[in-house]
Amino acid sequence: MSKVLGLGLGIIAAIGGFVDIGDLVFNVAAGATFGYQLLWVIVVGLIGIIVYSEMCGRVAAVSGRAVFDAIRERVGFKGAVVALVSSEVVNLMTLAAELGGVAIALQLLSGLPYRWLIVFAVVAFAVVIWVTTFEWIERIFGFGGLCMLVFAVVTVKLGPDWGKVGAGFVPHIAHTNRVLYAYFVVGILGTAMTPYEVYFYSSGGIEDQWSPKDLGLNRANAILGYGLGGTLSFALMITGGALFLSHGISPQHLGTVALAAEQPLGQVGLLLALVGILFAVGAASIDTVFAGAYNLAQFCGWEWGRYRNPRGAPRFALTWLVLLVLALGILMTGVDPVALTEYAVLFSVVALPLTYVPILLVANDKAYMGRYVNGRFANALGLIYLVVIMIVALAAIPLMILTNVGQN
Amino acid sequence: MSGKEIDIGLHVLDHQLLDKDGRRCGNVDDLAIEGGVGEVPEVVAILCGPGYWGQRAGIIGRLASRIGGGRKVRVPWSDVGKVDSAVELKRGATEIGLGRGDDRLRPYVDKIPGAGR
Amino acid sequence: MRTLSSFLRREVVTESGRSLGRCHDLRGELSATNLRVTGLCIGRRALLEHLGIRAQKPQAIVPWEAIVRIEGKRIIVRDDAAAP
Repeated sequence: MSKVLGLGLGIIAAIGGFVDIGDLVFNVAAGATFGYQLLWVIVVGLIGIIVYSEMCGRVAAVSGRAVFDAIRERVGFKGAVVALVSSEVVNLMTLAAELGGVAIALQLLSGLPYRWLIVFAVVAFAVVIWVTTFEWIERIFGFGGLCMLVFAVVTVKLGPDWGKVGAGFVPHIAHTNRVLYAYFVVGILGTAMTPYEVYFYSSGGIEDQWSPKDLGLNRANAILGYGLGGTLSFALMITGGALFLSHGISPQHLGTVALAAEQPLGQVGLLLALVGILFAVGAASIDTVFAGAYNLAQFCGWEWGRYRNPRGAPRFALTWLVLLVLALGILMTGVDPVALTEYAVLFSVVALPLTYVPILLVANDKAYMGRYVNGRFANALGLIYLVVIMIVALAAIPLMILTNVGQN
Repeated sequence: MSGKEIDIGLHVLDHQLLDKDGRRCGNVDDLAIEGGVGEVPEVVAILCGPGYWGQRAGIIGRLASRIGGGRKVRVPWSDVGKVDSAVELKRGATEIGLGRGDDRLRPYVDKIPGAGR
Repeated sequence: MRTLSSFLRREVVTESGRSLGRCHDLRGELSATNLRVTGLCIGRRALLEHLGIRAQKPQAIVPWEAIVRIEGKRIIVRDDAAAP
């Protein structure tokens, strides 16, 4: 029975925690620019993260090794160092972007100055993570993030042209502004298939001591959690399309995103949206900082774990503290979190093959996986997404330059 | 002959080291083999620590080794209990000289309230 | 004393100069008390085979006794070592 409860909690955490600042920025902006035309890309991204996570979860359950352990063992030391450095850099950028988003949400809620709130947010997270057990963190942020469901309500209330919405789910190429369209395709895929999520998920599987008999749970977790969480991405894009497209509003600020909820639902809607954003992006910050600490700890063989207290894993604790401080440093330079988000998402797309390819190799390695090796269906999907990821990784930087980071 | 056939790189190298209490205390960064051509070679020790990274990956490895502090710990194979998804050692980490980074950091961590929740 | 890493990626060549491939692992025998090295694993598994698209070639193992000498970047083995 507790397995079902665990699954339920996991799904709630996934819904609340699915949306991060990348999703907020790219999905709403895509809606504001192209209406509903990019909805199909979210679907592609969702299937991709489910495939990727399921493989990593299976590797964790069968081999007892998390993503980075597996990379180091199979790709060799040199490859692992490169993968480690690149993923830590991208992680740190993402962390700074998420924390910036938290600070903005706090500013919109409290009216206090942004720079003070950055410091407050970082200190608050450091204290919370140090002192609170992860179970509680998951509950608080997971449930708080459920407030994001207000966007689903908003979507329905706005009464968009559902015919056009449906058409958006059919893959197609835009008629105008193709380069910008391609940029958003890359961005939306990048924000759906975030690596930190996968490191976090598989490391959690190790800590929960998944074994082969948990494989069904792994699959259910991945499909239901991401699938349900993904509906929020749809809601964000549809909202952007319904509200902003016709007015030519480009949501360069999170406040604009939150205001979308005020339109149909008034002050309550706005409040729920801000609280939802605060907790969803907050949860993403925690996942990201842990992911960064996991990678380094796993590479070096240190003790690690989200359920461990700091004295049980001192170097691991020091790592996430240092990451928080570094992120604070980045934010204090005054960089705009929304711009930073776009860079973070694009760079993580470029680095994605470095961690995806080794996992695909490991998932196919009979010596490692025994009879839980990728079947033909898993391999078909895995290979299709390998191609998708490689194309997107190669296209990201050129598109970023061509569109001037989405400004065009 | 009760030996189990294994691929040493696949099944031992880069695997997690666990001490007798199940504590994570490093990875198998390399292995020392004694006995050359014409003899029966044996793995005599596990080599653990950033100091051994240089020989694994050329210039990248040496750089990483420098950043990591360059420590080297040699764990005699006689300390090895079980070889599974992790390599389980028969003695405690501190005894063998592993996990020193965590041990040295712990007193500072303990000074901050909440560290032992 | 050698390290395991020093064997990896070394080219394995017969005395008459035929290249058998690169050493990508060492085969060993694990007992309760020790781990003996019994041979070299030759030839990187091709990517496609690794992905299961083509049938996996059986791994070529060169028994340790077949090694003549280890020099520079190569391992020299007897001509009658592992069948291809």
